[in-house]
Amino acid sequence: MRLNIIVCIKSVVLDVPQGPVVRSAESCELNPFDRPALELALKLKELHGGTVTAVTMGPESSTSALLEAMALGVDRGILLSDPALSGSDTLATSTALAAAIHAIYPFDLLLFGTRTADSDTGQVGPQTSVLLDLPLVTGAHAVDILQTVMRVVRRADGFREVFEVTLPAALTVHPGAVQPRDITLYGIASSFESRLIEKWGLKEIGLTPDQVGEAGSPTRVYALNRVKKDRICDFLPGPTEEMADELIRRLLETGLIK
Amino acid sequence: MDFLLSDKHRAVRRSVRTFCEREIFPIAKDIDQEARFPWDVVEKMGSLGYFGVQVPVELGGAGLDALSYAIVIEEISRACAGLGLCLAVHYGVVVFPILAFGSEDQKKKWIPPLARGEKIGAFCLTEPNAGSDAAGVESTAAYGDGHYVINANKVFVTNGGVADICLIFARTDPKAGRKGISVLVAERGTAGFVVGDLEDLCGVRANPVSSIRLYDCRVPEENLLGNEGMGLRIGLTALDTGRMGIAAQALGIAQAAFDEAVRYAGQRRQFGVPISAHQAVQAMIADMATQLDAARLMVYRAAILSDRRKPFGQESAMAKLFASETACKVTDLAVQIHGGYGYSKSYPVERYYRDARVTRIYEGTSEIHRIVISRGVMGA
Repeated sequence: MRLNIIVCIKSVVLDVPQGPVVRSAESCELNPFDRPALELALKLKELHGGTVTAVTMGPESSTSALLEAMALGVDRGILLSDPALSGSDTLATSTALAAAIHAIYPFDLLLFGTRTADSDTGQVGPQTSVLLDLPLVTGAHAVDILQTVMRVVRRADGFREVFEVTLPAALTVHPGAVQPRDITLYGIASSFESRLIEKWGLKEIGLTPDQVGEAGSPTRVYALNRVKKDRICDFLPGPTEEMADELIRRLLETGLIK
Repeated sequence: MDFLLSDKHRAVRRSVRTFCEREIFPIAKDIDQEARFPWDVVEKMGSLGYFGVQVPVELGGAGLDALSYAIVIEEISRACAGLGLCLAVHYGVVVFPILAFGSEDQKKKWIPPLARGEKIGAFCLTEPNAGSDAAGVESTAAYGDGHYVINANKVFVTNGGVADICLIFARTDPKAGRKGISVLVAERGTAGFVVGDLEDLCGVRANPVSSIRLYDCRVPEENLLGNEGMGLRIGLTALDTGRMGIAAQALGIAQAAFDEAVRYAGQRRQFGVPISAHQAVQAMIADMATQLDAARLMVYRAAILSDRRKPFGQESAMAKLFASETACKVTDLAVQIHGGYGYSKSYPVERYYRDARVTRIYEGTSEIHRIVISRGVMGA
């Protein structure tokens, strides 16, 4: 059966910010945790046929992430961008994404990465799935589509769980599930040349400003500080054999080795 | 003037860098020690389009611009200078001359497999008695009965040990001096085509540099590139593009050495502080950063001029001269910053130091470039 798959991706900040977070084309890249989700979508499309749509919510600079997704082989790229969306926490983000996905209906599978490399909450996938009333399996390792049912393998704590889920359904894809394909220069040339990204605002997804952005966010980042680690440097005295003995003694004492 | 890279160029850099970090960095030391050409990695590079960055899409390439090409060479060279060299010569002085001077039939025949990396190209100009003096070529190509019979002794052929499609510079008219040299395409496997021993080089050791000798090697007249007598023109035009690739290679080597030097300077402690706190080291880091930045701007500018179809020979000569000399200075300082460890194969900087040295020699020595540049200023 042909599958219509939607993958939610994010353009994440590369380096730890010195002050407030500035999302620009130079400071961001496609979330590495989204690559396995994109790869799984592309593999399922190769197997079953259908389409893959990538959706991202972010400023204009997030276009690069969508174009990279299209360079990989994604058929359609949608940028959800509106000044009112700025300052959204994960729930407001999920509200916006869910509304966008409603506008993309119908679909069979909704995929997310397990988390983002910058905010690292892991919440958007589950929150969006709940808002869409979709069954969700997190940390999926393998997927088999059998008519209208999907078997999902999940590994946790040394156990292998197999879920049977009716479609449409949502998954967050474990980073180790699949090896993401490299982006080819052919793909980059084609997608960055044609730049076929659809840009949607609040109007297209039928939301009002009070439902998203800071107004629609029940949580707010109060402070963001760098953790300073104080390093104590202890120089072991004596010749090498003595240093080795002392090092072993300390490692045993602290329980770092047994 | 826009000094910032576009999102497309950033995407090119990111994708190549990701590939290099996964596939090339982990093996770079071994392939240098063993002087081994890593075929499995090269095949992957081919499938990603690295061998045909600027080749038009209809001929199997990625159809990207010269700036993207410079970035690809820079990133590959940062991981392994020998592989960066492979790409630079393959495109700059083999694929490009065929695109620029070849007939439609020649382009359709040779370009698609070259663009996909299924066949590798080599440029055979240098001989024991003809290096900087390209017109001193003694190889011959005698025409008769629809064929050219080539006798050639070509040395220091980059990619020679693996090349399938070779541009051979030989005299078709012994009496015509500089105008008697032509370019013929000879393919590996043709009777009389002999690949000599691999050179045991100081650096760029993953590249299979060898001699190539042709003994009464018969190639059809369809293998003549351009017209008879165009050899030097083709060679010098090719070198304009080729030197930009080598400039990008030198840039990649310098960047790799600089990254290592900065990392080491931040970690190594002497006299109670990281050595980056000592003024002498700070001066070195500052000089390295500045020269590297200047080299990058020059390389990218030459590429951008090429993309805008403006003359770029002078700028690419300057870029090659400056980037190669920068690579030698930066790698030298990187070794110095590492102290004794910089002299050990346990650290990569000694390899960068060895790799950098040849960039001042091939694709036109620094001395030749100084002549080219001053002629560009003063008029020939």
